Amino acid sequence: MQKHNQKEHLYKLLVIGDLGVGKTSIIKRYVHQNFSPHYRATIGVDFALKVLNWDAETVVRLQLWDIAGQERFGNMTRVYYREAMGAFIVFDVTRPATFEAVTKWKEDLDSKLVLPNGKPVPTVLLANKCDQGIDVLMNNGIKMDQFCKENGFVGWFETSAKENININEASRCLVKHIIASESDPVQSIEPDIIKPHLNSSKIVSCSACFKS
Amino acid sequence: LVLNSLVKPGSKPPTTPVKLKKVSTFQEFESNTSDAWDLGDDDDELLAIAAENLNTEVVMETAHKVIQNHSKLQEQHKFQEEHLQEEKLEEFAQLTSVACGDNRLVKSISEGHTSSSSDNASESSSMQRSQSLPQTSTPPLVSGMADYTTSVTPALTEREASRLDKFKQLLAGPYTDLGELRKLSWSGIPKRVRPIAWKLLSGYLPANVDRRESTLQRKRKEYFAFVEQYYDSRNDENHQDTYRQIHIDIPRMSPEVLRLQPKVTEIFERILFIWAIRHPASGYVQGINDLVTPFFVVFVCEYIEEEEVENFDVSSLPEEVLQNIEADSYWCMSKLLDGIQDNYTFAQPGIQKKVKMLEELVSRIDEQVHRHLDQHEVKYLQFAFRWMNNLLMREVPLRCTIRLWDTYQ
Repeated sequence: MQKHNQKEHLYKLLVIGDLGVGKTSIIKRYVHQNFSPHYRATIGVDFALKVLNWDAETVVRLQLWDIAGQERFGNMTRVYYREAMGAFIVFDVTRPATFEAVTKWKEDLDSKLVLPNGKPVPTVLLANKCDQGIDVLMNNGIKMDQFCKENGFVGWFETSAKENININEASRCLVKHIIASESDPVQSIEPDIIKPHLNSSKIVSCSACFKS
Repeated sequence: LVLNSLVKPGSKPPTTPVKLKKVSTFQEFESNTSDAWDLGDDDDELLAIAAENLNTEVVMETAHKVIQNHSKLQEQHKFQEEHLQEEKLEEFAQLTSVACGDNRLVKSISEGHTSSSSDNASESSSMQRSQSLPQTSTPPLVSGMADYTTSVTPALTEREASRLDKFKQLLAGPYTDLGELRKLSWSGIPKRVRPIAWKLLSGYLPANVDRRESTLQRKRKEYFAFVEQYYDSRNDENHQDTYRQIHIDIPRMSPEVLRLQPKVTEIFERILFIWAIRHPASGYVQGINDLVTPFFVVFVCEYIEEEEVENFDVSSLPEEVLQNIEADSYWCMSKLLDGIQDNYTFAQPGIQKKVKMLEELVSRIDEQVHRHLDQHEVKYLQFAFRWMNNLLMREVPLRCTIRLWDTYQ
């Protein structure tokens, strides 16, 4: 499969968060470039594959694990989490309770999964349904940055699967951290939540941090 | 079939695993077991066997007939070993289609099956695929409710008519022999008598004909008393999460039958909410919502002449009829869930157990597949969780689920 010195990475990524926050929609948008308001509730786990031409030498294959939102599984999430390299935790900006659940999901993840070097897996927080215009989050960007720092997220994005906002950017952010954590397994990575230069063409990365 | 028995939600779940432990090989187990979709001349004998609930002694006898049937089929294929794959596909098509309970369909498939295997044995395999599969398995599988509902068309075959008569006799009473009814239902219940048969088999209706009407009235009243008592609490602090989950999930159900009609949504929300707060050990768990659908659809059919349930406007039914359907669906769903409650309690031990059983079965039936999955570190929980959690509702068309439930009940 490898051309010349092309490297290929396969990463298992988890997509978790409360039910109905839009995990499946985000994945469908990211992988199939479409959106439907009528996805069925995910039961157990679903899978999707996304191939990224990361740079001239690197192809990244992302195996996305779309895990059912109902918090009921106890030990079952352990089976789903194993050997993941990164994670998205998603909440719905129109439902504050789903944001409150974010820390529960993060704790569940960190308690069941660590990288070979003993560190938690890089995790990006997604504030989904930002197109709804009902941003009930009392937090402004600064507070979210603070929240990410305190809870060990490597970044956060306001996303919309419906309007295709920030999903590619969030993924690149996560992959960047995974690659960095792989190549430099000992040193910890600084959160890059305030470095809006991931994508050279547009100012997109973590732009949410500077909103409002 | 083995899987069906495993996920059989209703009665006596322990029988199968116990039997499993007794027999030493899968072959042995298989030869002790009959298929619910084996409709042959010895149908009644098979039904008798089936009804013994895998009773080894009784099953042994006629199991040989099943094997003979299978080997007859297999002989027809002996000449075309190279078409092995097609054969398997066809058998699968046959199984799935037969499971849909439309006898005419069964016949057409068997015919197609035989002719393509004996007459056209020399044809290329690609021809075979294009001939047999699209015409037999695919259309009935995707045609959804239409096919299921048309099974009441006046043109009943002789066989169907005689089956319907048998059911009617049993149901007429004065006491319906539930064992007999279960035996008869094993290979499918005619659409016309399905509502009452399900209500009897689930234990919702009494066997005594004289007590049925009063029971219905009492239970329906009881259900609406629950609604009166509890439903307003859906916005209370301790119940609002449950209600919200149900509310979010109903538009995300499977399959897409009736569910987007506001009237149907209302009914489903009430049924699920009332059930959830009356069963705090599990509460509402995703997947339970799917279990209302077969009951609801079957009970709607009791009141309508339309062929297409899918496009039927439920709100055109009188309010009282809708209430009856709602209460009946609630009670029958409750009965079903009573038997599988540990599927939905914390950490879902019932599901885990069933997935484990599936794993054990596959490791016995097809070690190669089992090893392959193992090598690639695929866990059964990753793909089979939903099968068990939604009783295959997501995996097969609704009319097939309904047919399967004839056998489970």
